[in-house]
Amino acid sequence: MKVLVYSTSSCPWCVRVKDFLKGKKIAFTDIDVSEDESAANEMVEKSGQMGVPVIDVDGEIIIGFDRPKLEKVLKLK
Amino acid sequence: MKSKIYDVIIVGAGPAGISAAIFAARRELKTLVVSKDLGGQAALSPMIENYPGFEKISGAELAVQMEKQAKNFGVEFIYENVSSVNQSEDKKFSVKTDEGEYNGTAVILAFGKIPRELKVPGEQQFRGKGVSYCANCDAPMFKNKTVAVIGGGDSALDAAHYLAQIAKKVYLVHRRDEFRGAESRVLKLKSMKNVEFVLSATVKEFKGDRLLRTAVIENLKTGSASDLAVEGAFVEVGWEFDTMLTKGFVDIDELGRVIINYVGETSRQGIFAAGDVTNVPYKQITVAVGQGAIAALQAYNYIHNFSTKH
Repeated sequence: MKVLVYSTSSCPWCVRVKDFLKGKKIAFTDIDVSEDESAANEMVEKSGQMGVPVIDVDGEIIIGFDRPKLEKVLKLK
Repeated sequence: MKSKIYDVIIVGAGPAGISAAIFAARRELKTLVVSKDLGGQAALSPMIENYPGFEKISGAELAVQMEKQAKNFGVEFIYENVSSVNQSEDKKFSVKTDEGEYNGTAVILAFGKIPRELKVPGEQQFRGKGVSYCANCDAPMFKNKTVAVIGGGDSALDAAHYLAQIAKKVYLVHRRDEFRGAESRVLKLKSMKNVEFVLSATVKEFKGDRLLRTAVIENLKTGSASDLAVEGAFVEVGWEFDTMLTKGFVDIDELGRVIINYVGETSRQGIFAAGDVTNVPYKQITVAVGQGAIAALQAYNYIHNFSTKH
């Protein structure tokens, strides 16, 4: 399972998503879109919008800290 | 639908709300915070330097720490959008969201301010897809792109200055010929090669496909319309107060702010208010936190007397 988290340094929900994943011992790649322009464009392409965080779990896109959807997609329930 | 009973329900998880929650919980009140987001406006600030005890802290980090501290005292947090607050015959209150209904003996209103919208076609449609109300939050997404900033005060000038260092080009659109904001900032912007002033103009419409592509501008002097090709539009035209929960329920002033007395009481017994949403004129995190504590302590007295009366 490949998990990507698109985030910026100034967003509380991004911190919570990452803490949530760490708490469940799920490995993820943290992509700071404020530093990486091509990653920012990639995130907008994948999610159709510009808000962070965006989580990509094997191609399935979750926008924001949508805990129910995250748990479902990560097969935590 | 979820339904639970609390001593105090706090609407808003910004500094005012969380401070109130901490004080209420430490007085052994069963406390719930209901909020659409965490941290409120304070969380949007990349660097806070005037919060006593912290030389420098990001708003996001402060918000997360505040939530953690409140949870340590048993405060419950529910992240849902509050749609109504009503009082029942037994004088207790019900706070409704899309997903649940929560009942409390007292309610503290701490939902802050909201950015004023232009109220033009396409604005809602492209919100989050190019239209933004927070340059600090969203500017990084517009590296090497063309954006517009709409407004004439210090917020607009600051946003334009910040964006000009990230974006390829910034159009600064203002409906007057002169800016309300500081002259020094205006001069600075005039010296920046990638900033173009579009004065005596307003945005009539936002257009695009999946994302924002165009801001349609009307020149207020000539009446002519033109298109600005932009991928971002930052609306910085001030703040207003959402009166959906308060109008007709508690006294509000002409701006929509909740009127409180010196102990955070509103015109309705059992409803308290704290922070930016109130008519106290200074909108700072430290003020909000102080007001939150006052409201919670006053709510505690109210609840204590409530149970002896009813």
